[in-house]
Amino acid sequence: MKVFLFFLLKKIIILFIVLFITLFMTIFLLGSTMDKIMMDQVRLQAINSFSGAALENPKLQQLKTNEERQKLIDQQIKIQSQSLGLDEPWYSPKKLFNSIYKIITLNLGNSRFFTTYYGSNSVNDLILEKLPNTILLFTSSSITIILIGLFFGTYLASKEGSIPEKFISGLAATSRGVPDWWFSMIMIVIFSFFLHVFPSRATPLSSPNEPGYIIDLLYHMTLPFITLVIIGFSPFVYYVKYIVLRILDEDFIKTLKIMGIPQKNILYIHALKNAGPQLSTILGLGITASLSGSLLVEQIFDWPGMGNLFYNAITQNDSPLIIGLSYISVLIYLLTRLILDICFTFFDPRIKSGET
Amino acid sequence: MTLKLTRLIKENKGGFIGTLLLFFLMVMTFYALFFVSTQSRLQWNDPIHWSDNPKTAAPEWFNVILKPFGHQLPEHKIFYQKDATVNSINETDFKLENNTFSYQFDFNEFPPAFDIPYEITLGEIPPILEVYVKRPDNLEFKIYSNSLESVSSSQNNGDNAVDNNNNNSTTPTLIDSNTVLGRVFSSSSDVRNSLAEYGGIFKFPISGLSAEKIIFSKTDSNTPLKGKYEFIFSVYSFDSDTVLKNLQLVIQGKVYGLLGTDELRRDVFFGILIGTPVALFIGITVALSSSFIGLFYGLYSGYTGKKAGTFMLTVIDIFISLPTFIIFIIISIHFGRNLLFLIGLFILFGWPGVALLNRTFSIQIKNYPYIEASKLMGESDFKIVLRHIVPQLLPFTLANFALSVPIAILGESALSFLGFGDPSFPTWGQMLQEAHASSAETLGYWWWIVSPGLMISVTSIAFILIGRSLENLVKIGKRR
Repeated sequence: MKVFLFFLLKKIIILFIVLFITLFMTIFLLGSTMDKIMMDQVRLQAINSFSGAALENPKLQQLKTNEERQKLIDQQIKIQSQSLGLDEPWYSPKKLFNSIYKIITLNLGNSRFFTTYYGSNSVNDLILEKLPNTILLFTSSSITIILIGLFFGTYLASKEGSIPEKFISGLAATSRGVPDWWFSMIMIVIFSFFLHVFPSRATPLSSPNEPGYIIDLLYHMTLPFITLVIIGFSPFVYYVKYIVLRILDEDFIKTLKIMGIPQKNILYIHALKNAGPQLSTILGLGITASLSGSLLVEQIFDWPGMGNLFYNAITQNDSPLIIGLSYISVLIYLLTRLILDICFTFFDPRIKSGET
Repeated sequence: MTLKLTRLIKENKGGFIGTLLLFFLMVMTFYALFFVSTQSRLQWNDPIHWSDNPKTAAPEWFNVILKPFGHQLPEHKIFYQKDATVNSINETDFKLENNTFSYQFDFNEFPPAFDIPYEITLGEIPPILEVYVKRPDNLEFKIYSNSLESVSSSQNNGDNAVDNNNNNSTTPTLIDSNTVLGRVFSSSSDVRNSLAEYGGIFKFPISGLSAEKIIFSKTDSNTPLKGKYEFIFSVYSFDSDTVLKNLQLVIQGKVYGLLGTDELRRDVFFGILIGTPVALFIGITVALSSSFIGLFYGLYSGYTGKKAGTFMLTVIDIFISLPTFIIFIIISIHFGRNLLFLIGLFILFGWPGVALLNRTFSIQIKNYPYIEASKLMGESDFKIVLRHIVPQLLPFTLANFALSVPIAILGESALSFLGFGDPSFPTWGQMLQEAHASSAETLGYWWWIVSPGLMISVTSIAFILIGRSLENLVKIGKRR
């Protein structure tokens, strides 16, 4: 148990290091643009508030010359930027600490160009609006892929050398080399342009508060879902087959066979159970890979998820949104990895007993 | 010997297919490197260079597939001045020169457009240009006329007119003191206005239709009229110095070339060709460097063990846990659009995986008795590593090398697709990005999407197949 705790601690420390590296890198690379944006906002605010105040206060209207007016505005800007810390460069330790603190406490600021359906432009709201869609699409397709993989992989392990088994091996090699985003484009050409079965844009046409929204969403989700399953299932089937095959070689399976336990039970109960630890690692790698791959696939299908938002933020150079989104995605990515690592250690008796 | 080879091929079908694919890619690379000049490669991003090509045309062989369905798409056709029959009439005070192109049209669809580029050396008096179309049903339309007076009078401010010949205006422009460069576009308002006068002949309203849909249409319904068309380009010249040069008639088609064209009229096949060496260069450079770094990093951290080894393992752990793609994007936003920079980035994040594998193996090998024996014999660590461990790891490194090529190629294409590609080196990923930006998939320009993606996949699959069979060979060798 002590070893297990030590292992866990090590993982968590690495997780924090990684999180800080990415955060630091993001701020390092986007910090200067962020400051410029903030400064522009302050300037605009100062001018607006001055013209607003000038209407009410007749004293201010007496400042006839432009120079005097400018002087006052400049003064305002200076006070404002000092209070926000904009007079210091972004790399001053105080500010660096401040911005990291802000991001860690999920105070992600406002997007420059994007708003939610209800009109809020806060980065938090934007992410909260898009995140469920991403989770919906990617968990449902991942679960389907896992189920297909477990069933077919184990089945094919008992049929080594048969034509379907060779076919899956070939398909697995092929689909690892095919970019999934390109495959999505091909699927749109086939199913949307030539066959007119599914819409080419996966953003539902009805608004979120209409009653038929869920059905509309699911209908628009079908094509991306099918695409993700087709591109993802064969490597997983291949891995499951590979792992189960190695377990079938072991002595205890032979003993079970001699004991007269039916082939089906051996395969689906005993072999699969023992494949658990190894499967969970591969599963983890697969899920984390699909999370980062989601960016392009979502953009091509125009699925209203985080990846699509990320793509649009990049093309519009919306720095606050980019920083917020990368932080959240890195967080999700690392948490998934941590949970999977914990599961893995929990399953694997070697780590618990401290053999490694 | 041959028997051995056939057996090897039979046992490693995947590897054999991979080698064949690689050979095909090598042929493309050599062709692109030695037969395509740097200058024509740079013309990829120059729209004027491609102006004689049709826009978003399907591949030519697509007509063969359509033949059983009784449908044919119009082919792209370019007539040069030498193809025209010239007919000159000399009058007392002027000379009329008719250049007639005859065009056989038998397709079920209207051609998408046509244009007539020309070049005229001016004499003292500017000539008058007229373009007529004579149709199979003996109707004759005058579609364009221009006396070049306005051009010659604007001689003084001729410098602002140079880059004018690619936007859709038929206005001829002066390129130097006495040469006029012009292009009659079917989509221009001049042509449409002159066709509007023939509205009475047609039994349907022609006001909203584009010029080619009127000229090539039957009079009773708006369907293509097949037969022989004559395009007559007439020049009325008033002195002997007026010379017509480089006259062409370009009938835009809907099929062109081996792989069609894109939205900017570029030949997709040419893009595929010049993208091959770039993709292989990226893949091989990244894989070579990262497996080299990975080999020695893994060796060192595995062989020394102790604290340094553990620390090096932690570094690998951190690198592996980094969400590479997001980091790539963030770095590329700031520095991107440079090929060498991209390669460096892939190497930076490519070696840790290889290092981890090599570390595990070198720990295994380190504990073999013969290593301990040579240690006892007083061999230096450096010699042991070089003589006993590296040779054992090399086959694995070779397999790793082959398997990391596709990672780099796929990564580059994905980043290019996001718009971080190097514009001076057109790659397949950039082609797909442009296709997606013009929403080629919803408009059904499949040729523009299929071929670049297929090339990415073929290259990656070739290396995956080779890497896998190498892995198998190593494993079998070990077992024996």
